[in-house]
Amino acid sequence: MRSRVLAAYCILIYLFLAAPIIIVVGASFNAGNFLTFPPQGLSLRWYVVFFHNDVFMRAIRTSLWVAAVTTCVSLVVGTMAALFYVQHAGRWKETVRVAMLAPLLLPEVLTAIALLFFVYAIGIGTRSMFGMVVGHVLMTLPFVFINVAASLESFDPDWDMAARSLGAGRWTRFRRIMLPLIKPGVIGGALFAFIISFDMFTISFLLKGIGTSTLPIQLFDYLRTNFTPEAAAVSTLSVLLTLGVVIVSDKVLGLKLHRF
Amino acid sequence: MSAASAAVAPAPSRLRLGPLVLIAPAAILLAVFLVIPYLNILLMSFRAPGQGTPYGEGFTIANYLRFFSDGFYIRQVANTLWIGFLCTAICLVVGFPVAWQLARGSPRFRAIGYGLVLSPLLVGIVIRSYGWTILLGNNGLINRTLTNIGLIEGPLPLMYNALGIVIALVHVFLPFMILPLMAAIQGVDPSLETAARSLGASRLTAFRRVTLPLCMPGIQAGCILVFVLSLSAYVTPSLIGGLRVKTMAVTVVDALIDTFQWPWGSALALILSVTGALIVVLFARLTRMKWKVART
Repeated sequence: MRSRVLAAYCILIYLFLAAPIIIVVGASFNAGNFLTFPPQGLSLRWYVVFFHNDVFMRAIRTSLWVAAVTTCVSLVVGTMAALFYVQHAGRWKETVRVAMLAPLLLPEVLTAIALLFFVYAIGIGTRSMFGMVVGHVLMTLPFVFINVAASLESFDPDWDMAARSLGAGRWTRFRRIMLPLIKPGVIGGALFAFIISFDMFTISFLLKGIGTSTLPIQLFDYLRTNFTPEAAAVSTLSVLLTLGVVIVSDKVLGLKLHRF
Repeated sequence: MSAASAAVAPAPSRLRLGPLVLIAPAAILLAVFLVIPYLNILLMSFRAPGQGTPYGEGFTIANYLRFFSDGFYIRQVANTLWIGFLCTAICLVVGFPVAWQLARGSPRFRAIGYGLVLSPLLVGIVIRSYGWTILLGNNGLINRTLTNIGLIEGPLPLMYNALGIVIALVHVFLPFMILPLMAAIQGVDPSLETAARSLGASRLTAFRRVTLPLCMPGIQAGCILVFVLSLSAYVTPSLIGGLRVKTMAVTVVDALIDTFQWPWGSALALILSVTGALIVVLFARLTRMKWKVART
């Protein structure tokens, strides 16, 4: 009986967690001009409107581009740092960990503001995407680091030793022995980095230049003045894109996520 | 974990130069684009306001004086802290049973539940806040439904106030509370509870005196995470609160983006962050003390 009550309560909370997302997806199929309830019939018209909206299409391309670049940079830098942390940091281990997690521990708004002033101070400004990408790399780095470090912790150094005794060089050992074994963590980190970058708001909002709005920024700007279901269609597509990335990495690459 | 790392790093006493190449990119990135910008923002908060430029010549403490002499901003900080506190408390109370179920429930249920808790994190915060505006608005789903049933005459004020912000923020940050709680509960051996029960403790006493103190690190982690995140949240308060209710983060960003008052915005952001940090430290101290007392 008690466990039934608990299970029922949990289902309620899961519904609460899913509610706004379900609502947005449902609203995107509304045929009416406004978000009215009950919906005035089903239609895909807002998807058609959205696909013909250059502003949103450009924002999606920008978002994908920024997320791809961010993921690549973050993955290389984060994996290297994780290797150092697990194998060489010694008594500096805790310091390295705290430093690597710092972007997560500091308030994102403050980091965004600090970075905004900084890119102006060094004369780059927000004309290029440089500041935004750097911000994204900073914010995604901890996730790559956590995931890769977690897989590395379970990597048995005897394998490395065995390969070494057979004459394999440093790079070969990394590529042929270590990388395949820590692959789940690396992919998990990359996945996190991509999704977090794709959905990042505050950093992008403060560091965006003219004409370099990402999808969340464009959506936010749109929502401040418009109430048509087009925003719901955009949101649904964004959710599907993220979901697609997760499913593809899960099926094709094999996935294992580590929590912090 | 410690056993594995000890095995991997056999000579932890000396740092060799070669491996430093591995940490160099991350170290440079963090130093140049995190440490220096943070020092710079501190400097910025002491700069004089500019005339037509983001900041002027010379240094001053006028920005801080302006804050402390204006009750409006002090009230706004208090308001923001109050919203953060409410979110944290509600997340803890609401999330604990879910974390319990995930940690101790049947394994089949666990995998699904875990996915359901994590999945909202895959959806961007703008989209989730947007979902809440559809639900909570005056013409939103909740008000329409209640009106149609005939339960209420006019719309309930669910949006453009602190209530709406808290509801949406609880939704956004609940997973961040549930995950550390779950990890903590998983770490508590259920047989400890059984032992307490066999010694005559009631179910409630066993929970309060044995399980809860052992879960304290998880509770602490979850609370700090949710509190800090809700203080610096921008999107949700901005979309749900509209122009009527502004949290500090919204005021700060608007001061920078709309009116380009860089020194003033920096001072505000730093005041909010330092206040938040002080509360977190105080909270950590208090809970740790309590945890020690409970253990002895």
